[in-house]
Amino acid sequence: MSRKITIPVILLAALALPFMTANTYFHHLMVLWMLFSLLALSLNVIIGYIGELSFGHAAFFGIGAYTAAILGMHFGLAGIPGILLAAIVAGLFGFVIGYVSLRIVGPQFAILTLGFGSIIYTITNYWVDLTRGPMGISNIQPLGLWGGDGIALTSAIGYYYVILGCVVAFAYACHALMSSRTGRAFIATRENAPLAASLGIDVFRMKLLGFVVATAVAGVGGALYAHYLTVVTPDVMSMQYVAALIIMVIVGGRGTISGPIIGALIYVALLEALRALGPLRLVIFAALLTASVIFLPGGIVSLWRRITGADTPHQEGAQ
Amino acid sequence: MDYVVFAQQLTNGLVNGMTYVLIATGLTLVFGVLHIINFAHGEFYMLGAFFTYFAAKLLGLDYISAAVVATLGVAVLGIFANRLFFWPLRKEHEFTVLLSSLGLALLLTNGGELIFGADPKYVPSPFADSVFEVGQLIVTQQRVLIFVVGALVLFGLNLFIRHSRMGKMMRATAQNPEGAALSGVNIRQVYTVTFVLACGLAALAGALVGPTAMIFPTVGSWAVLKGFIVVILGGLGSIPGALIGGLTLGVVESLAGGYISLGFAQAIGYAIIIVVLLWRPQGLFGTARRT
Repeated sequence: MSRKITIPVILLAALALPFMTANTYFHHLMVLWMLFSLLALSLNVIIGYIGELSFGHAAFFGIGAYTAAILGMHFGLAGIPGILLAAIVAGLFGFVIGYVSLRIVGPQFAILTLGFGSIIYTITNYWVDLTRGPMGISNIQPLGLWGGDGIALTSAIGYYYVILGCVVAFAYACHALMSSRTGRAFIATRENAPLAASLGIDVFRMKLLGFVVATAVAGVGGALYAHYLTVVTPDVMSMQYVAALIIMVIVGGRGTISGPIIGALIYVALLEALRALGPLRLVIFAALLTASVIFLPGGIVSLWRRITGADTPHQEGAQ
Repeated sequence: MDYVVFAQQLTNGLVNGMTYVLIATGLTLVFGVLHIINFAHGEFYMLGAFFTYFAAKLLGLDYISAAVVATLGVAVLGIFANRLFFWPLRKEHEFTVLLSSLGLALLLTNGGELIFGADPKYVPSPFADSVFEVGQLIVTQQRVLIFVVGALVLFGLNLFIRHSRMGKMMRATAQNPEGAALSGVNIRQVYTVTFVLACGLAALAGALVGPTAMIFPTVGSWAVLKGFIVVILGGLGSIPGALIGGLTLGVVESLAGGYISLGFAQAIGYAIIIVVLLWRPQGLFGTARRT
């Protein structure tokens, strides 16, 4: 099947999905799936395209959520300006943190982002005047156009479509980026940084650009999350979410567009399916991550290519 | 300024710092010798504390023998962890190994919650309630024990790495694994010994710190985070860096907690790290690759 057929079919299926069931709980799960897809796609820019492992991504998600929540609480700003500001604030944090930490690479970078993530987590927990500390912020206004104009999105289906729109837009942006000159510069940086630098690519700037884009999109995800759940606590920045996002990208398939979305689906679905098992489900999750890393380093997506025998390079934009 | 209060804060900071040093030394050892970032390191700290608790409770051992049994037990677990999760992946990409260790960390935390129960436990120690006084300074004997044992173990480790045959083999592997293997170093043995040492150190830290605070299965992620912050500060792979970094972090946190704000003590500790990293991104003693 060519892309011209599959992509419209998948889009139609995604649009029709909420009408397959009237169960609002399933609608809730669909919203979570889309939300995690957006976050995993943004983390994928860092892991898959610029080739660094970030353990601080949940912090940017949290920054976006708190920006939206605090703006709504103090200024009644609950609409599109709030989401844009969340993206700008998360992106600014991303710029500063990226500027400091992208100067080193590999495992050291991973640990450095972990350190920055926990700094942000700690500050959120203790700066009670601004964030209300561990209690979190509740009663966040639902999403509106400008806030306070009477238009408010309250149904799960509504959020599903809004976030689906963001996912499709961002996925297309990723695809367009990877077929552009800048995208090829990203890949060159990932594959061989010294060689890329010798060809005149500003490696540090490319990495910083990717990092800032990824963190800004994570901020958008956080803002949408805050408006949808109407409550946000520092837990969104905890190690659990950091690990969850990494699991989605790695198990799905890093460096691809379908991979993180499939990874998010697996995460949400499996977590629900195993709910009855209690604490054991997280043990199963950990085993899944380990097994996937060891036996399927290209993720689920590479399995599909292995079955169909397509001989394409397993990473988007590498061709 | 009140010098007694200041000296008390400094002492508390040094003791806390020594626990950070014990945790960070294992992390930095594994990275320095094998170039592995072990996310599961904190879980061995957690296991050390829990093994001490159960050895005291189920086997009826006194605190010191329970701590020794726990340390040895976790060191043996280190052999298995190496055989299953690290040795088979030695030729894979560094991210694969890092993620595999993250998987092991999640397995141990959640497995621990399943087996030990999520409720906090208290490790009994005869030293926890009796105090040690020097002038006007007051320290519990347990905290004196932490500092003394920590210092002795680090001194012993230093001698081992510098002078023993195995220590020389470890340093050769750290410099160049292929070259070391070619000149007859048994890399497999180096892996095993490094993990035994690192897991044992983490478990010892857990067994020592256990009586000063409640223990619970998720304490490992706290430990690994502190360990990582110390090694970022000191420089990955450097044992002097772990020593200086750990003591600095402990003292800074303690002074910030005493004079500025208890809640922000940790954040202030982190702020110092950012300042250091702006100046030296590879840490105080590190030699990280730079772009």
